[in-house]
Amino acid sequence: MWRYIGRKLFVYLLTFVIAVTINWMIPRFMPGDPVRSMLSRASVGNPEALQRMNEYYTGVFGLDTPLHEQYLSFWANLFRGDLGVSVMLYPQPVLDIILRAVPFTLGLLLPSIILSWIVGNRIGAFAARKKLLDNTILPVGYILTAMPYMWLALLLAWSLGIVAGVLPTAGGYSPSLRVEFSWLFISSLLTHWVLPFLSMFVVALGGWAIGMRNMIIYELEADYSNYLQALGAPTRLIRRYAFRNAMLPQITGLAVQLGTVLSGALLTEIVFNYPGLGTLILQALNNRDFFVLQGTFLFVVVGVLIANFIIDIVYVLVDPRTRVQMTGGAA
Amino acid sequence: MRSLRLPAALAAVALAVTACSGGGGGNGEGSGEYPRNETLYTTGTAWGPPANWNPFMQGQYAVGTVGLAYEPLFLFDPNTSEYVPWLAESDSWPEENVHEIVLREGITWRDGEVFDSADVVSTLEVGQFDSVPFSNLWNFIEGVEAVDAQTVRVTFAENRPQEWMNWVYSHPIAPEHIWGEKTEEQIMSDVNEDPVGSGPYFYESHTDDRLVWERNDEWWGTEALDLDMKPRYIVDLVNASNDVTLGMLQQGQVDLSNNFLPGIDQIINGNETITSYYDGPPYMQPANTAWLVPNTTKAPLDDPAFRQALAHSIDITQIIEGPYANLVEAASPTGLLPIWDDYIDHGLVEDEGFTFNADRAVELLEDAGYQDEDGDGFVETPDGEPISLTLEVPAGWTDWMEASNVIAANAQAVGINIEAQTPEFDLLVDNRNSGEFDLIINNERGASNTPWTYYDYVFQLPVNEQQSTVNFGRYENEEAWALVEQLAAVPADDIEAAAEITSQIQEIQLAELPAIPLWYNGMWSQANNTYWTNWPSEREGAPQTYASMWNGIWQLGGIQTLATIEPAGE
Amino acid sequence: MSEIAGAPGTADAAGGPEPTTERKTSEVLHFAVRNPKLLIGLGIVLSLLLLGIIGPLFIEHGPNEYVGPKSQPPSGEYWLGTTSFGQDIWAQFVFGLRATFLIGVFGGGVAFVIGTTVGFVAGYKGGIVDEILNMLTNVVLVLPALVVLIVITAYLEVRGVFIQGVFIGLTSWPWAARAVRSQALSLSTRDYVDLARLSGRRTWRIITTEIAPNMSSYLVMSFILLFGGSILIAAGLDFIGLGPTNGVSLGLMLESAMKWSSLYLGMWWWFIPPGLGITAIVGSLYILNVGLDEVFNPKLREL
Repeated sequence: MWRYIGRKLFVYLLTFVIAVTINWMIPRFMPGDPVRSMLSRASVGNPEALQRMNEYYTGVFGLDTPLHEQYLSFWANLFRGDLGVSVMLYPQPVLDIILRAVPFTLGLLLPSIILSWIVGNRIGAFAARKKLLDNTILPVGYILTAMPYMWLALLLAWSLGIVAGVLPTAGGYSPSLRVEFSWLFISSLLTHWVLPFLSMFVVALGGWAIGMRNMIIYELEADYSNYLQALGAPTRLIRRYAFRNAMLPQITGLAVQLGTVLSGALLTEIVFNYPGLGTLILQALNNRDFFVLQGTFLFVVVGVLIANFIIDIVYVLVDPRTRVQMTGGAA
Repeated sequence: MRSLRLPAALAAVALAVTACSGGGGGNGEGSGEYPRNETLYTTGTAWGPPANWNPFMQGQYAVGTVGLAYEPLFLFDPNTSEYVPWLAESDSWPEENVHEIVLREGITWRDGEVFDSADVVSTLEVGQFDSVPFSNLWNFIEGVEAVDAQTVRVTFAENRPQEWMNWVYSHPIAPEHIWGEKTEEQIMSDVNEDPVGSGPYFYESHTDDRLVWERNDEWWGTEALDLDMKPRYIVDLVNASNDVTLGMLQQGQVDLSNNFLPGIDQIINGNETITSYYDGPPYMQPANTAWLVPNTTKAPLDDPAFRQALAHSIDITQIIEGPYANLVEAASPTGLLPIWDDYIDHGLVEDEGFTFNADRAVELLEDAGYQDEDGDGFVETPDGEPISLTLEVPAGWTDWMEASNVIAANAQAVGINIEAQTPEFDLLVDNRNSGEFDLIINNERGASNTPWTYYDYVFQLPVNEQQSTVNFGRYENEEAWALVEQLAAVPADDIEAAAEITSQIQEIQLAELPAIPLWYNGMWSQANNTYWTNWPSEREGAPQTYASMWNGIWQLGGIQTLATIEPAGE
Repeated sequence: MSEIAGAPGTADAAGGPEPTTERKTSEVLHFAVRNPKLLIGLGIVLSLLLLGIIGPLFIEHGPNEYVGPKSQPPSGEYWLGTTSFGQDIWAQFVFGLRATFLIGVFGGGVAFVIGTTVGFVAGYKGGIVDEILNMLTNVVLVLPALVVLIVITAYLEVRGVFIQGVFIGLTSWPWAARAVRSQALSLSTRDYVDLARLSGRRTWRIITTEIAPNMSSYLVMSFILLFGGSILIAAGLDFIGLGPTNGVSLGLMLESAMKWSSLYLGMWWWFIPPGLGITAIVGSLYILNVGLDEVFNPKLREL
């Protein structure tokens, strides 16, 4: 069991190293010059002045040292929590900018992942092997998972936000409010949160329901179920066992789906102009701010790795087999 | 006051998880909401979160840093072509190479320090650092001295009044007691979050998606200029998508939008409360010229006759009515903006200027020996080489992408094989600067105090290995450049003398077409009149200033718009 | 983006496919033509594919050309209306369908090739090879594909459908590799494989002649899921503005609909068709897959 966790940790560490290396390599081996593109926005009229500014900023960003030094200092900076300096928000540190966006993304992600997982599993388990329900929920579920996140978001923004006019469709809170800890502001935060949350919740819901439904069907067809059935055990009992066994792959599924849900969150944020990481990525792209783009990438990777690790631990704790091993080992 | 976003967002998460329905909020206290009828909501200038308030970081400082917080010595009024004394009270040229500026009395910085000539001297001296964008001033300034507390004397080693006055009106003065002692490093990396300026507004707060300015009720101009800034707060929102902006504008959540919004013509026509400068096409005032820049070092673009044919082949109306839906106007063949009408030699333009005429284009090609010998529908060079040119515009710049398709189709119609391409912006900049392109569209110079800025852009010599801001076409004409240098030396207020030189320049320009003017990009500005009215307009009695938050427009009189708009319903 | 939905591979715990060496084709067909999920799913996918192939042939102008009046709702002349620029949305839609299928084939294809190769080799060889490949699989699996793709494509000078497909393929193969590996693992211990190995045949031949055919149904289903996944990822990239330069695709249509304010100008005919198209293709692929699963796997048949 410790071996299991150790292996996982090693994989995550390796992933991290690879991600960092990719991150470092991409801008240095691709064409284009971040400093020049930053300065081309500065509408400096005089070429000489521009040239001098160019040299200055190249130095500031460390692009003028040998490659291996750049790589080493990249790691050194990383451990100091230094992800570089933003181009579009020069001279703000990239980390600060990301940290400001993270709460909004987490505020969307956590509730929608957890709630859709719980509700989806319930629906799926309920639907399995009940012909009528199965025939309606299955197609609906598949259609929901097949929906591009941004399209559902657009549909919701259009129908609930613009046509019906009941909910705001853009931003994290009303621009007419001072940012403060008041009911007025918090309720504004909440109303702006509803639509993005809803669109992520709905898309994810379909996937979990189907996953659970399929899993339960496999379980119900498994030998132990048939055996129980032959013994004359009540259907409720068999289904309960099936549900509990089906939960395990669903937890692993959570880890596998993280990347997808996260991508969905980024796209959804863009539709709603929600001030999280997705919108930040879009801004960075529009402003050609690769420092922010790459910082966000690293941040997201680390977040996913940590989440994966938490899920691994949960899995170990929930899985009866490993649980037995643990208690067995202790005893 | 500032970074409450994080805790607030965390609170939101906590509340969301407990599924609390945030009812019962809104106790109506004045602190929560900016009072709607005293607040001006703007958007369309900032493309990213506010980064800094450093007046020396041109092109990067937050919206209004220069204009609202920091002010220049003079404004330039493009309607009258006059310099309007601002922080300065008057100026004179006691000698040809000496400029004496007398400062207004009784101006204080926001921290209470008195504004005087030392501030002007120190600001100019900051330009001696290489990384400061106006460091080139010191190529021709000999010295700056404070004669007394209210008088500054600038002596020039070389006379370039047009360029100098461009600095005078467009660059702000920063307080010496704050910036004077800083090193280059400090100056170029200072966020300067609470800027100490002299202007009518001061920094209130910001988040990543907006910036709030609050009116400075102690501002010197209220008395001295009789200007009463109406909005108590200005909330500038970072550009969202066109989509979101249009929605907010229609719903009155934004009062002024300064971004190109396709479809805005339909809304201006259909919605009484949304207005722009002109009621009909082109709706917007011109802000800069979009040029088709040929690489004059490459055959056949090095041939003026070929460039002429190309210019005649472009049906600009198709671009204006198509992608722009009549939101822009065709440019004068000289490329000069309408504010520089006095500098245009209209007789010459009448005779020599190009217009769309496909037959004439074919004729010009034939006369110069460009003919289609191999029958592929496209002409070859007189030597029989096939011609295949590309026109590059940045990917994602949709209006330009559409325009470039029209240009390519027009040129093909007369037998010039042009293909439109859309590389990434960075790559395009690389190609452009190093001269590895055939044709590009560019509009990097805008309205200013003098057409010298335009001619400097078209003709500047020498051509370097990298051409990063001017003369992208690498056009070399010593005679024209000599004339531009002459123009630079003309006193800033002597329009007649300047017009004589510009006429000569235009003669060369129209014959040679080093760059082909296409259309005037608009000073995109659409206002909702629900909360604020009396926006600048062509209508009689309405203010004629610019209504734009763009950097550089405040100094062209835009700041006065804030004093002339009126709260609605009063 | 389809790691879970209906993927048989997630059911690692459940028994592998039946290694009945001679599956009765007639029996499969018998169930196939009677399976509504399979038929409906296949029907929709094929008709959309047909539309994507044939539709563009009937359109004389390019999909991005200005052909009609601006901002027109659907009408007899322009079936899906026009954009703010007067582009024919129907034309964009059929060309977009074509591009969407293409990206599915490229992206899904590359991912399939990498995924199955890695899976087979790892599962068959075992030992240190398995360890290394498994490690690699896990590394790529935890990296969030879209974010990696955003960073990579942001730096590309020229973006085309092909390049996009290759990159999507390079990032979305791991779950297929994992699933194939576990199947190959169980198959490689079967007697007939041992026999083949003893007879000295080359690894590659054993994989292609003995193992792969016995899980062909499984492979087909994996490919379908990879196909659908690539379409969704590509749509996401296109929507962010990292789609093929100058191209047409359903994702790019969504992007421009959003960019040019179709929501606020009330032009529903601009943003509904592309999303609906993607949903229809991917949704029917999934349903088709469930149908296939039921046909191939007798336990799941509802009798």
